Amino acid sequence: MSLARAQSFDFHGADEDQSPLAVARLRLMIGVLLFMVAFGLMAVRTIELGMTSPVANRTAAREIVVPPVTFARADIVDRNGELLAVNLQSSSLYANPREVTDPIGLAKQLVDVLPGLSQAELEQKLSSKRAFVWIKRKLTPKQKWQVNALGDPALNFRDEEDRLYPHGRLASHALGYVDVDGNGIAGVEHYFNDRLSEVERAGEPLALALDVRVQYALADELEAAMRAHQAIGAAGLVMDVNTGEVIAMVSMPDFDPNNIRGVGESERFNRVTKGVYELGSTFKTFTFANALDDGIATFEDGYDATKPLRISRFTINDDHPKNRYLTLPEIFAFSSNIGTAQMALDIGGDRQQQFLQSLGLLSPADLELTEVGAPMYPATWRKVSTMTISYGHGIAVSPVQLATGISSMVNGGRLNTPTLLKSRSQTSKGKPVVSPATSRQMRQLLRLAVTKGTGGRSDARGYRVGGKTGTAEKAVGGGYDRKALISSFMGVYPMDDPQYAVFALLDEPKGTKETFGFASGGWVAAPVVKNVILRTAPLLGVLPKAEDENLYQRVALMIEEDE
Amino acid sequence: MRKTFTFIAAICALMSGAALLQLKLAVQDQAERVAALADQIHEDEESLRILRAEFAHLTTPRSLQEQSIENLAIMPPRPEQVLGNIDEIPFRRSDSKVDGSQSVLLPAAEESGVNAEQDSTAKSEDQTL
Repeated sequence: MSLARAQSFDFHGADEDQSPLAVARLRLMIGVLLFMVAFGLMAVRTIELGMTSPVANRTAAREIVVPPVTFARADIVDRNGELLAVNLQSSSLYANPREVTDPIGLAKQLVDVLPGLSQAELEQKLSSKRAFVWIKRKLTPKQKWQVNALGDPALNFRDEEDRLYPHGRLASHALGYVDVDGNGIAGVEHYFNDRLSEVERAGEPLALALDVRVQYALADELEAAMRAHQAIGAAGLVMDVNTGEVIAMVSMPDFDPNNIRGVGESERFNRVTKGVYELGSTFKTFTFANALDDGIATFEDGYDATKPLRISRFTINDDHPKNRYLTLPEIFAFSSNIGTAQMALDIGGDRQQQFLQSLGLLSPADLELTEVGAPMYPATWRKVSTMTISYGHGIAVSPVQLATGISSMVNGGRLNTPTLLKSRSQTSKGKPVVSPATSRQMRQLLRLAVTKGTGGRSDARGYRVGGKTGTAEKAVGGGYDRKALISSFMGVYPMDDPQYAVFALLDEPKGTKETFGFASGGWVAAPVVKNVILRTAPLLGVLPKAEDENLYQRVALMIEEDE
Repeated sequence: MRKTFTFIAAICALMSGAALLQLKLAVQDQAERVAALADQIHEDEESLRILRAEFAHLTTPRSLQEQSIENLAIMPPRPEQVLGNIDEIPFRRSDSKVDGSQSVLLPAAEESGVNAEQDSTAKSEDQTL
């Protein structure tokens, strides 16, 4: 400081005689001053930084990058987020036989850990002269851990990606499967192949409408019924009647999508969507809705069912003959073919065809699967076709089409497109096919067919089940085989506010001692529907409650039970 | 005077230099830790996927049913057991004593030991009702 003062003093006085030394000092002093100012500024800034509180966002300058878990194919989950299909890194075990010291010992250890391998084959592989042999492809994490625990340096893993279906056989037909390269071959895996293998959306699982719990209940019951009645196949479906979502879809026999090698055509065949069946009396629901909606018949009307109907070379009989005049509710409850056929004649063939067309029963189901069967019906719609189709013969549709149609009959008359994807809305936006009033009448009829008619064995107490049985003989070589039946039951519950439709079908069931030798829908399929409802209604949030008898009283009085 | 100043400045420069180096090393250390943690998170996420798949496999309804049949005496609820509304639960009559026995809930073997402590909880629950 003293230096600077002395200099400034000199500065003023020594303008004329500047010695070179003084000039040098002056310049030096200017430099020193500049540095001091700079240091002063830095000190001030340091103090300022120390005094102020740190700004939060300035500290996060370094971003933490977690390498994302990548996989080639998006997961598939059910409506509750339960994993149905997942791509996992799996390891395949290989060995370098040149590094193996004790082939026999190592082979024995490996066979202990991986029971599927053969000791002799392994010994041969491990004692070969090659540098690389596969031991086993796609090990489970547990097996990998066990192999690592062996600690042999000759063993090594190679990472591969594997598509796994944790639930095994459950929902195999809906899910489908993939080939070795991970391309979808069947089911939603095939239908949504592009979406699932899209790289940007791999982290976003595909949510299906299925519910594994319901799926299992249906599969379990169908399997039991199939075993009890020695049926060659079975199909089942649970559908949300208000949204068209497929909650469960079972086709038996099924397969394990984890291991599709050696699976036959009959196991892969999806009976719910690809199989088309003459479904019998369940079709009466459509004939009745058609007649009621068009005002062709009312509940007060009736038809004479005293004797079989003859039309050209056919005779139409009743399976549960009453041999008397029947009111409309009676025709439905007792499943009278004679009455229904006469009603269909009143409707007329063209209108009947048009009505079934509007329900989507004459074109393949619009479902997110490629395995969808086209319905079969006569090319020329003759009078006899009108009559037989009215009670479900001479027309073959897939169960999913039937469930979609029945749903629209009870949900207030709106036809929803069936879907395997979870939908966000809870309300029906489908196009109207029958009036809400007709839909209410159909609910009454379906409920009474259970309480007073052929569907009695489906009545899950408290859940107000309504439904219709269906029994059809299989068409074999131009005629019908009286022994080979397609027995089904279409149930809907709860009937005062329909939520879910449950369908069960058995292919060629045999009567048992418990069913007194009967193998019709009311005997073999209705109990399946009942059990499924009892098991799943609590899961789906449908409350059991006492029935409001007033809903059905007026119609119930029209049904005269004579047994 | 000038000497002291220079000396102090030199010491300051050395110290701040040392501190800076220290800080740099610490930051490097932390960055390495962050990278290691990120790797760990990645690995955990991967094993989480495997565990989720294994969980789904182990809790598939079929095996749950088999386990339940084997180990529990639980049946599916009957319709009359399903209540949708708390109001449907009848009130306990005020004059009836609460039975503190937990035998309905516990296996016979554990019964005697736990009974005493369960009693008090049963009573307090009763008061809240």
